[in-house]
Amino acid sequence: MAIDRGFLGYALPPFTVAASLERVTRFARAIGMTGEPVTVAPPTFMKAVEGEGNSSRRMLQAMGVELSRVLHVEQQFDYLAPIRVGDILLVDRAVTDIYDKRGGTMEFIVIESSISRDDGTPVGRSRQVILVRNPTAVPA
Amino acid sequence: MSADLRNAEAGSLIAEYRTSVITREMLAQYAEASGDLNPLHLDPAFARKAGFEDVIAHGMLSMALLGRLLSEHFPAERLCNFNARFVGTVPVGETLLCRASLEATELGSAVLALEAVTSTGTVAITGSARVLMA
Repeated sequence: MAIDRGFLGYALPPFTVAASLERVTRFARAIGMTGEPVTVAPPTFMKAVEGEGNSSRRMLQAMGVELSRVLHVEQQFDYLAPIRVGDILLVDRAVTDIYDKRGGTMEFIVIESSISRDDGTPVGRSRQVILVRNPTAVPA
Repeated sequence: MSADLRNAEAGSLIAEYRTSVITREMLAQYAEASGDLNPLHLDPAFARKAGFEDVIAHGMLSMALLGRLLSEHFPAERLCNFNARFVGTVPVGETLLCRASLEATELGSAVLALEAVTSTGTVAITGSARVLMA
């Protein structure tokens, strides 16, 4: 089933995430970092921030995409300032591109996030590309 | 902790390590810590339905393990970007050899070529990162 291109620009209401000591530490331990107390978030922690409240899944469900057909194929992070323990972060997420290849058997959804501190300082951007496999699509 | 980029030649290895075995427990811990509860990484029956033999690692867990090369060798202030393409899947029970090599230096920063490869030689991630020179 082709994704409705009307979802281009679809955005979640901006939401807030606390980079608490407990949360950053739990993420660091889950990726095998042990030892010293964590004061700065690991480079991919932005993914946990933007994923708050199952946001990726909610966006895909809103677009009518089944989870069993998706694969995360590309991820980019731009860093403007480190995320530190104690930061309160504001997240803006939106669908910025939808395109297909191979006669619609492969569709791609691009979701971008901007993340800033609650004082307005931007800390980074995230861009992910999701592949939706459509084995039943008829190649053009 | 800082890797020496100034005296490195293009193509030379900057850092590498092999991860521990990626277990189901790790996948569950990463799911919980990241909020990515996609059953593809937790539920073998779901993974089979999606066309895999068993659960596979989150691409973002592999990227996070690759990212440890960056955070363990460069302070966060020097990291400008970090990009990954998930070109191969990582079955549960695998390890990843994570490597960073110098691609080029330009205008006070260095571009690193990154890769994560399974024990069977499957390239899971090809990526890059830009870091500021000290």
